[in-house]
Amino acid sequence: MNFIKTLIQNLVSGPSTVSYPFGPAWTPDNFRGRIDFKLASCTACRACEQVCAPGAIRFDKTPEGLRFMMWHNTCVFCGLCEHYCPTDAIRQTTDWHMAHPVKDEFGMAIRETIVYVNCTGCNAKTLSSAPNPVGVEPPFTPEEIEQQRNLCPACRKKALAERGAVS
Amino acid sequence: MSTFTIPVGPLHVALEEPMYFRFDVQGETVANVDIHAGHVHRGIEYLVTKRNIFQNIVLTERICSLCSNSHPQAYAMAVEQIAGLTVPPRAEYLRVIADEIKRVASNLFNVSVLAHLVGFESLFMHVMEIREMMQDVKESVFGNRMDIGANIIGGVRYDITPENAEYLKAQLDKVEPAIAEVTKIYRTNGSILGRTRGIGVLSREDAINCSVVGPVARASGIEYDVRLKAPYSAYPNLQVPVHTLKDGDVWSRAMIRLAEAATAIGIIRQCLVQLPDGPTACTSERPAIPPGEAIAKCEAPRGELIYYVRITDSPRPERVKWRVPSFMNWDALRFMLKDAKIADIAIIVNSIDPCISCTER
Repeated sequence: MNFIKTLIQNLVSGPSTVSYPFGPAWTPDNFRGRIDFKLASCTACRACEQVCAPGAIRFDKTPEGLRFMMWHNTCVFCGLCEHYCPTDAIRQTTDWHMAHPVKDEFGMAIRETIVYVNCTGCNAKTLSSAPNPVGVEPPFTPEEIEQQRNLCPACRKKALAERGAVS
Repeated sequence: MSTFTIPVGPLHVALEEPMYFRFDVQGETVANVDIHAGHVHRGIEYLVTKRNIFQNIVLTERICSLCSNSHPQAYAMAVEQIAGLTVPPRAEYLRVIADEIKRVASNLFNVSVLAHLVGFESLFMHVMEIREMMQDVKESVFGNRMDIGANIIGGVRYDITPENAEYLKAQLDKVEPAIAEVTKIYRTNGSILGRTRGIGVLSREDAINCSVVGPVARASGIEYDVRLKAPYSAYPNLQVPVHTLKDGDVWSRAMIRLAEAATAIGIIRQCLVQLPDGPTACTSERPAIPPGEAIAKCEAPRGELIYYVRITDSPRPERVKWRVPSFMNWDALRFMLKDAKIADIAIIVNSIDPCISCTER
């Protein structure tokens, strides 16, 4: 008899399915979906490459610079890259609409290059990556980030020492 | 009466995962059981040695989706023991919350499959819908329905914000009465009782001889729960009631699971009240892991899960070995299936909540 009550309750409350793809499907704000990469924030520390369990993320040296490459179809959406990224350059969006025709398979990737520049301090060839903000007090201003981006590692250290950072 | 040998599995309509049994039957009664393993062996213990310590948090999570929080937790506990890392108190509570949310969903899943095997499809759908509320919690708080990714080495990587806590409490307020209602149905419904009372009995002596763990042991009257016998995380600070029943039949195991789902909700509530402030991990970067070896264990929804980790100078572990609860429990099937009817085979096998992908990895 108990179950008849339950059945009637379920009848009154109506169906619990949604009409996706003809209607919207509920997606929570914390949903761990498609990876998004912000080249300007990448420090080229390669932590994401080292923690990526399926090996979806790779860095390659090219003549132009350091190429970041990430395959969406290899990603398992674990979010370790986002967790260990010091600058939030890599993060997960709430987008889960990833079905695609086979012909688009090789386009399901992020390919971006951190280019080489000549250091404005010593003119050596260096990567224009963002500076690592971990432990830098007071934090970098946007102008400082742009300035650091065009310095080689040695000149970056010198600039940090001059500003009196604890790094 | 003539004797037949019938195969059940590896692909069988009533079994959730590939298991292969050969039954010698006399008429309708099981005389002897042969259990053949190895149909979902994926070589994960080998793969673990090919990935570094941090990648393995994700790999161990994907051994099995139903206990997908217990594996990385036990693995992280073992690695933390090697590295001498102290997990912050807030992270300990957050680990318990993640663990108990998974327990509610996992236990409800097994109980609903019992209704499905009994042939009570509307009850199956109803219990799955209650479980769906916990799935929504996992998706909202952790971002994924099964692989919640709560643990990292040295803490957790999610946090309960005040909004999340409100949402979690609101969902628990909905799930708790629903579980109470379902428990009443399982306790009184004739269809359920007729198919589960006195079926697949595992006596206390046999349970001790087979060293069964988890709800299977507790349904046979053995008061064994890792959360009490070897408290870890925040469990020493929490009230964890242990449920035991004496009969050791399929119904007792289902009732233990329902009772544990209900108490898990109580444990989550205690955690939300006691939740201390502070960091959620001992360091925001990857901690250095020295060589060493350690053993850690935790109470997965199916019982005691033990991890052994050995690390050398390499960034990859040299050996990771785990003993899953289903490994102990499925051997006891020989006793449960003795003199059972053919029609009850699927119900009895389901009653140990077998997790073949964990066991054969």
